[in-house]
Amino acid sequence: MNEQAYSGEHIVPPVQAPDDVLRIEHITKSFGPTTALRDVSLHLRKGEVLALLGDNGAGKSTLIKIISGFQKADSGSMWLKGEPYAPKSVEDARSHGIDTVYQDLALIDELSVYHNLFLNREPLLRPFPLLNNRLMKRKAHAELNRIGINIPSIDVPVARLSGGQRQAIAVARTVSGDADILLLDEPLAAMGAKEGGMILDLIARLKEEGRVSIIMILHNYAHVFASCDRVSMIGDGVIALDKPTNETSAEELNELVVEQYRRAREAAAAEETTAIQARSNGE
Amino acid sequence: MPVASESDEPVGTTPAGPAPRRARRRGGAILGLLKRFLTLREGSIIVVTLITLIYFSASTQHFVTIGNFKTLLPYFAPLAIMAAGEVFVMTLGEIDLSIGAVYLFTPFAFYELATHGIPLVPSVIIALLLALAIGAFNGWVTAYVGIASFVATLGMLFVLDGLTLVISHSEQVNTPGTSVVHVGTFAQVFGAGTYTELLWAIGIVIVLQALLSFTRWGLYTVAAGGNRVGAAEAGINTRLVVVRNFMLSALTAGLVGILEAVRTASITPDPSGSNSILLQAIAAVIIGGTLMTGGAGTIVGALVGALFLGILNDGLIFKGVSANYVYLWLGLAILVAMAANVYVQRVRRGSGRE
Repeated sequence: MNEQAYSGEHIVPPVQAPDDVLRIEHITKSFGPTTALRDVSLHLRKGEVLALLGDNGAGKSTLIKIISGFQKADSGSMWLKGEPYAPKSVEDARSHGIDTVYQDLALIDELSVYHNLFLNREPLLRPFPLLNNRLMKRKAHAELNRIGINIPSIDVPVARLSGGQRQAIAVARTVSGDADILLLDEPLAAMGAKEGGMILDLIARLKEEGRVSIIMILHNYAHVFASCDRVSMIGDGVIALDKPTNETSAEELNELVVEQYRRAREAAAAEETTAIQARSNGE
Repeated sequence: MPVASESDEPVGTTPAGPAPRRARRRGGAILGLLKRFLTLREGSIIVVTLITLIYFSASTQHFVTIGNFKTLLPYFAPLAIMAAGEVFVMTLGEIDLSIGAVYLFTPFAFYELATHGIPLVPSVIIALLLALAIGAFNGWVTAYVGIASFVATLGMLFVLDGLTLVISHSEQVNTPGTSVVHVGTFAQVFGAGTYTELLWAIGIVIVLQALLSFTRWGLYTVAAGGNRVGAAEAGINTRLVVVRNFMLSALTAGLVGILEAVRTASITPDPSGSNSILLQAIAAVIIGGTLMTGGAGTIVGALVGALFLGILNDGLIFKGVSANYVYLWLGLAILVAMAANVYVQRVRRGSGRE
């Protein structure tokens, strides 16, 4: 019954492009009584930077976790480079070239910068099963220099780094892998303008290379228009807007959010009325 | 500790005059070295152990002798081995309370196998496989069923204590393959030689410290202990890490059980003795510098922790302290050592902000 009622709200039908690397169709996900994603369809073109917007609790992070194999969708399908894609685990998703920077960073405070950078893909001193720390340090230096991230020392535990530096390490970890699809969950949170600028520069550089395609959860519209090709907004468990950034504006995005708030308030009010009616009917 | 408080002075201070400057600089370098040493995870317990050793050798005669070292060995070597396994569990932020019971149970399993026609070495191997299975069960209950390891291994402790009493009919037995008059090759290898347990301890500490510091196993242990969710998000199979570390701690406990049974040539079903060893092993781990909250651990520290407990125990007896007082002093000394540890850790954290 619910699906019938909501299908009309599916404003933007999923656009198909021949160079899609990732297509997501009719994904749903609930946590107990809470519906996080009602019907989400999305696509990502090769070399594209897609901004994923939406209110708190709109389901952006849930969607990211489904794509990255950390959670499973209740229903719906995903297609990676034309092949059916159903990751069994984060490991599985990574082997398909999809890698993620999570909101909680997934950094291990007690481990050094270079161990964090190579976590779960540490080079070994073959034939021995020992960690090749020297190689990790060298590669970590090179990688951080390439990205332009300034860290006092790669030997210190990441607990000693600032929020921005930690975020930079988390992003660096993702892009230094073999991934060709990056999922960034608020990569610019907890960052000063200077550090945030570094990350935006990095994303611009990656876009220039054209090797990786990126989905970024963002909050700041300035960041959206500075570095993204296209913007998708999740609202109420569906995609409420999907446009190239040069065809939309901060005003349009704002109006959409306001509209979502208004609808949410109305829905809550309606629910309350029904509840009151039900209660008075019962008495 | 007075040593650490002096090193609070910044290392790079350079005073005005040329002559005092040189002296101060040399002093500064020494302080710097001292500070670096103290900021090692094991640093503080090494210092505390040395101070204890110096105290006992100064206040008693013939403390630092080969003979006394030999009497110290059976106390500290088994503890060091058990503590080494426990470090892997505690670095995960978990705890294994069943190691004392595994230590009690494994030699009886060995005895039953060896007295039912299975040769000695295969009996040892099967008994140790049983210990591994117990560890795997502990890990499975903790990681997959989701019971807190404190509770899961507490249950296992009583199960194994009870099982041991049942199969042994609470009677002491002679260890197979040993005899009081002649020490054969089997007994020599599995604990009866004077330095056998020490060699096992040193070998195990080296191997396990290498495992913890230089392999993925160790790195993932620290990762899962520091941030379990984060480690899982990075794709690490944290449940597997939990299971194998519990297996490791059960294995070391079972091995110590057999070594001790062979050394003493008898197996005693005494749960209070094995539980005392459990608590001392955990004490050795913690005063050695392993965090109870997980994310950091040291095998070498646990070895020194065991040595500290051994020296303290031995020294108190040497000083002629009444047996009734030994536990009292032991407890107080552990509290003092831990307080020193916390202090040094604060210094370490301070040094990190430089």
